[in-house]
Amino acid sequence: MINNIEKTPNISPHLKTNKTSKNIMVDVIIALIPVFIGSIYFFGTRSILIVFSAVFTCVLSEYIWQKASKKQITINDYSAVVTGLLIAFNMPVQTSIWTIVIASIFSIIVTKQFFGGIGGNFANPALVGRAIIMLLWPAQVAKYVTTYHASVDAVSSATILSLLKNGNDFSQFTKWDMFIGNIPGAIGETSVILLVIGFLYLSYRKIVNPVVTGVYLLTVVLITFVFGPQGLFTGDYLTHLLSGGLMIAACYMITDYASFAPRIRVTLAVIAGILTAGIRLWGIYPEGACFAILITNCLAGLVDRIIKPHIYGMKLKRDKV
Amino acid sequence: MKRQLKSYFYGGIHPSDGTDKLLSNQTPIKYYVPKRIEISMMQSIGHVSKCIVDIGDRVTLGQLIGIPQEFGTANIHASVPGIILDIIKVDDEHDGVYDVVVIETDNNFDINELYHNKDYSKQLKDISSYSRETLISSMKDGGIIGMGGAGFPTHIKYETNKTIDTVLINAAECEPYLTCDHRIMLEFPFEIINGVNLMIKAANANKATICLEDNKADAAKKLQEILENSNLPIKVKLLATRYPQGGERQLIQAVIKKEIPIGKLPAELGVIVSNVATAKALADMTFNETPLITRCITITGFVNKPSNYMVPIGTLLNDLISESGGISIDGDNKIIHGGPMTGTCIASNSNGNGLIGGVLKISSGIVVLGDEEIIESPCIRCGRCERVCPAGLAPFKIDFAAIENDLSLCDKLYATECISCGACSYVCPARRELAWRITIAKNEIFNQRHKNGGK
Ligand code: SF4
Ligand code: SF4
Repeated sequence: MINNIEKTPNISPHLKTNKTSKNIMVDVIIALIPVFIGSIYFFGTRSILIVFSAVFTCVLSEYIWQKASKKQITINDYSAVVTGLLIAFNMPVQTSIWTIVIASIFSIIVTKQFFGGIGGNFANPALVGRAIIMLLWPAQVAKYVTTYHASVDAVSSATILSLLKNGNDFSQFTKWDMFIGNIPGAIGETSVILLVIGFLYLSYRKIVNPVVTGVYLLTVVLITFVFGPQGLFTGDYLTHLLSGGLMIAACYMITDYASFAPRIRVTLAVIAGILTAGIRLWGIYPEGACFAILITNCLAGLVDRIIKPHIYGMKLKRDKV
Repeated sequence: MKRQLKSYFYGGIHPSDGTDKLLSNQTPIKYYVPKRIEISMMQSIGHVSKCIVDIGDRVTLGQLIGIPQEFGTANIHASVPGIILDIIKVDDEHDGVYDVVVIETDNNFDINELYHNKDYSKQLKDISSYSRETLISSMKDGGIIGMGGAGFPTHIKYETNKTIDTVLINAAECEPYLTCDHRIMLEFPFEIINGVNLMIKAANANKATICLEDNKADAAKKLQEILENSNLPIKVKLLATRYPQGGERQLIQAVIKKEIPIGKLPAELGVIVSNVATAKALADMTFNETPLITRCITITGFVNKPSNYMVPIGTLLNDLISESGGISIDGDNKIIHGGPMTGTCIASNSNGNGLIGGVLKISSGIVVLGDEEIIESPCIRCGRCERVCPAGLAPFKIDFAAIENDLSLCDKLYATECISCGACSYVCPARRELAWRITIAKNEIFNQRHKNGGK
């Protein structure tokens, strides 16, 4: 019926915005370029290899899947490129290429295409890819090294968050190092400044809503400050804020359109913030952002049902007809 | 100092940067009398009046030629004096069967005489001698219908038994490109204010508010100046420009700050909304005994001379396009009757000569736009459609349900509350035809309810 009514030229409105899905994805890619350059600067040319294998696998698996299942080919909307970039940025530089390829295939085919393609995914594909690796081959994504520009040579090193979690000293890293990204971590997550630059660009282009990101960060900061190791209000919130995957999550994961339904996004951001801080402080993992966001993704349906939209003219109860 | 205006209805978009209206909002209204007119007995979509004249008859200006034959139709009058050349029977599969009366205009007819040097166009009139009943019956006799688009007979609205407090005069003209309401406010301010005053009386209301968007500040100033020296209970209100401000429900929300309950009419809140051109029509009928036989229409977009015309109802669209210098775009085009957001496409890739039909009482404009092929891509769930929907719906969800033919889900998602404004389709980066599909689903739900005996 409705799906096979033929289209006529007479479909109003006759004006449409010229901002398309592709424009949006291109803007996201532009926003991620500084982070990409930063990853090469801090972790060397292997970053390029990681990024390219992730992007290439994502695009190719999307194409093959859509071709095989005879769906509309959507690789030219560049959303697979964005997914690939985010997967790569979430991996440490020593991760083997096959891990990246598996994470990418999994992200695209299982998380994205099984659920109906772009927009249909209930969870963030890039994070699912990373989570799968963390569960199946945890050693692969635990090999962190210091950057090329650290005061010590490139040696394997724990991330600041795990040092912090275990109560170890991490004074070799200054707050400034954390801010510019001169610390061990996944290739795209360390540099707060570069992530924020891209994010400001996206806010300026009205592609993301900075309020949501702000709410998420504030929640994390608040909780990590209040529940400090030496009692209430002693937390090292600045380290929490500047290290680990918090910034990349705040800037690029919770702003994901599909898995963070826009209408309830602020509420979800608070939930994700509480979970992130909770996992970091009391969970078994030093880093909480990834799983926190995935859990929030799963809760989105529930929240959507609890927070009802307001329909024009709707009083408390719908008039029965 | 520029005042910051706020707009209080939900959602909404800015489909226009203002340049589209600039094409024609500074061009004074031109008067144009065609040699031949074609008056359709269907003046608003799906509502057909009965033709009561024959081929060869001579008609005088304003003579009754069509009478209502069903709910929602109104009188139709000869808009020029002349001889009936033909009566064409149209059989349209969507809109039904109706007659079109073709009249050849008398040579000595001068449309200017209709409007100039009348006392009600220079001063405020004392209306104490008119009663509510006489006004409502002159609305009925004059064939006055809502000139903003829906074309609902005005007298039926005003016959309400609810207590009306405020008459809202809709002069928002929120559709891009259209400037006819803007021009009539600038050029017929006294007629309009006199008409609004009559409407207050016809509704037995306490006051009226003329609502304009701030891109028409000059018109607001003009009306304000006249009102300042009077003690009429009429206010002028400027609203921040945003589409669809001129939607009846949105206008009420923006001005009265209340929502009309689902399934109810504005009268429920003590409000009647009328278009500003309708107010002028009532003044013309009351003070000048001229029924609704002319209207102002904007011809704009890709035409060589975008203009506003005051023309007899039934003026051929072809004539108006060539009067405006013809179509100025080489590539693909489409010609829209009404505004670009909610209007209907009456021709594509036309050279402007093949248009069928004439100006209706509801014709606010003819807009020639460039055409491009729209390829829909999958929804990326960006939520823009939901954010702009003035009804508060989640268009992407309804769209999905409609594609799956799940009407009961569409109903649960309140598809029936869609006002078909098109804001969602406008913003969608995936270029989905949301409004189109939701409107089909909405109508389908209403059909089914009808069949099942509900309302
Ligand atoms: S605006 Fe288009 S792409 Fe965005 S959520 Fe709505 S339907 Fe989907
Ligand atoms: S067309 Fe309907 S669904 Fe779309 S924005 Fe307008 S009211 Fe909402």
